[in-house]
Amino acid sequence: MKRRNILAKLVLVAVGLFYVLPMISMARFAFQRVPVALLGWNNLFDRWTIRPLFTMMGNPIFQEAAFLSVRLAVLSAMLTLIILVPTVVYVHVSMMRARALVEVISVLPFVVPAIALVVGISGAFRELAPWFIRSDYSLVPFYVIIALPYTFRSIDNGLSSIDVKTLVDASRSLGASWTRTMWSVIVPNIRVSVVTASFLTMTVVLGEFTIASLLLKETLPLILAQSQGQDPQGSFAVGLVLLIMTASLLGLANRFSRRRNITQPVAML
Amino acid sequence: MSITNTHSSRGPSSRRSPREFFSSLRGWLPVAPFVGFVTVFLLMPAAVVFQKAFVRVDEPTAPMIEAITGQYRKSFIFSMQLSAITAVLGVVFGTMVAASIVRLGHRRGLRNAMTGYSAVAANLGGIPLAFAFLAALGMQGLLTKILKTSGIDLVGMGFRISNFWGIVVVYLYFQIPLMTLVMLPAIDGLKVTWREAAANLGAGDRQYWRLVALPLLLPSLIAGFLLLFANAFAAYATAYALSSGSSKLVPVQIRFFLQGDTITGKTNLGYALAAWMVIIMTVSMTGFLLLRRRAERWRR
Repeated sequence: MKRRNILAKLVLVAVGLFYVLPMISMARFAFQRVPVALLGWNNLFDRWTIRPLFTMMGNPIFQEAAFLSVRLAVLSAMLTLIILVPTVVYVHVSMMRARALVEVISVLPFVVPAIALVVGISGAFRELAPWFIRSDYSLVPFYVIIALPYTFRSIDNGLSSIDVKTLVDASRSLGASWTRTMWSVIVPNIRVSVVTASFLTMTVVLGEFTIASLLLKETLPLILAQSQGQDPQGSFAVGLVLLIMTASLLGLANRFSRRRNITQPVAML
Repeated sequence: MSITNTHSSRGPSSRRSPREFFSSLRGWLPVAPFVGFVTVFLLMPAAVVFQKAFVRVDEPTAPMIEAITGQYRKSFIFSMQLSAITAVLGVVFGTMVAASIVRLGHRRGLRNAMTGYSAVAANLGGIPLAFAFLAALGMQGLLTKILKTSGIDLVGMGFRISNFWGIVVVYLYFQIPLMTLVMLPAIDGLKVTWREAAANLGAGDRQYWRLVALPLLLPSLIAGFLLLFANAFAAYATAYALSSGSSKLVPVQIRFFLQGDTITGKTNLGYALAAWMVIIMTVSMTGFLLLRRRAERWRR
C-alpha cells in the first residue's frame, strides 16, 4: 500500500515536470539574454529582461495583427451568442425533441479538421463569393463553427440548471415581449454560461492558425510563426503571453461552470 | 399555461392530422437559423470537399484513388503512425496519471490542481506550444542542455524536435491530459466493493487488476485511444511550426495543394486528401462514441 502511494507520487511529479519545464524553458529563452550554450550555475540569474516583449509589442505589424485577432475574438463571441442563445433557449422551452439534433450538429465540427474545412471553404466560396473570402472578417463564422462544440455545451449546461420554462411563462404572462424576456430574464440567469461561452470562443480565435494561414489573414498566431526567424526572443515572449492568456481563459471558464471540464465536450459526451 | 406549451402537452400516441403536421413543422422553424448557419459554413464546405474529390478533371486516375497511392499513401501512413503512437503513449501515461490521482484522492487540493491543469493543457496547442518545446528540446533547448550535462546527448542520439519522435513528445503535452480526463471518471467508478469481493474470493492484487479492473476499463481505454488518435490526426499548426512546413504529415501535403498553383493532372487531389481525412476522423469518432456508451454501462 505504502509503496503504491510512492509510485503514484512519482508519476504525478514526473508528469508535473513534463507540463512545467517547457513553459520555464520558453520563459527563460524569451526573457534572459544569455545563450543556452553559455548558461551555467554562475550566470543563471544574469541579464533577465522583459524588453523583448516590449520591442515586439512596439512593432506595428504585431500591433495590427493583435488588433485584428482581438476584433475577431470579440466578433466571434458576439455572433456565437446571437446564434446559439435564442436557439438553445427555444429548444429548452418548447422543443426538447430538437435538443438531440442541435447537440449532434454542435459536435460535427470535430470530424472536419480545420485543414479539411479550409479546403472546403476555398472550394466553396472562392468562386461563389470571392469578396467574402477576401475580407478579414470572413474568419468570424468559421471560428464560431470551430468553437461550437464547446459553446453549445456551455449554454446548454446553463439552461439545464434553471427552470427556463417557468421563467419564460412567468415573464410572458406578465406581458413582457420575447426580446424583453430574453434580455432581462433569461440572459441574467445564465450569465455565467454566456461569459464562459465567450471565453471559450476567444481562446479558439486567439490560437487558431490553420484557417487564418491558408486564407492569408494576418492574425496573431500567423505573425508569431512568421516573426520567429527575425525576432525569436520577441515572438517567444508573445507566445508565452498568449499561452498564459489562453490558459487563464480556459481555467476561468472551467471554474465558472458548475459541471467540471466544460472545455472537454467530446470527452464528456 | 402559455401558448408555447400546446405541442409538448400532446401525448405521443395521438394521431397526426395534416394540420398538426404543419404546426409541428412550424415548431422547428426557430431552429432553422442555427441549422442554416451550420449548413452554409460547415456542411456546404464539407460537401464541396467530397463532391470535388470524386470528380476527375484532368487526372489519369480518380483523385480518391490517387490520394492513397504512392507518396500520398506514405503520407497517410506517416500521419496515422504518428497519431497511433501518440495515442498509445497518451493512453498509457494518461491512465497512469488518472490512477495516481485517484490513489492520492484524499488530497483534494492535488486532485483539483491536476484535473484543472489537465482540462487546460488538453486544449493547448498551435504555435505557442511548438515554441515552448523548441525552447525546451530544440537544438539549443534548455532541457537538451541539462540532459547533455547529465550525460544524455539527445542530439547525438539523433533526436530532433522536428522529426517523428520530436512531434510525438510535443503532442503528448495535450494527449496525456486529455486521456487523464477520459479515464478519471472510469477509474473513480471502480467500486471498492468489487475489490473486496475479489479479495474475499482469494484474488491477489494482480489478479484483481487483470481479471476485474482491466476488463471493466477496457472499453474506456479503447475509446480513449480512438479519441486521442483523432485528436492527433487533426492537429496541424504545432507540427507545421516545429518542422517549418517540411513534414510528411497529410495536412502539410494538403497545404501544398491549397497554396501553390494546381499541378496538371492533380487538380482535385487536395480535395481527395481532405476527404480521406474527414472519413478517418468520422470512423474514429464514431467508434469512440459507441465504446464510450458501452463504458458508461458500469457507472451508475
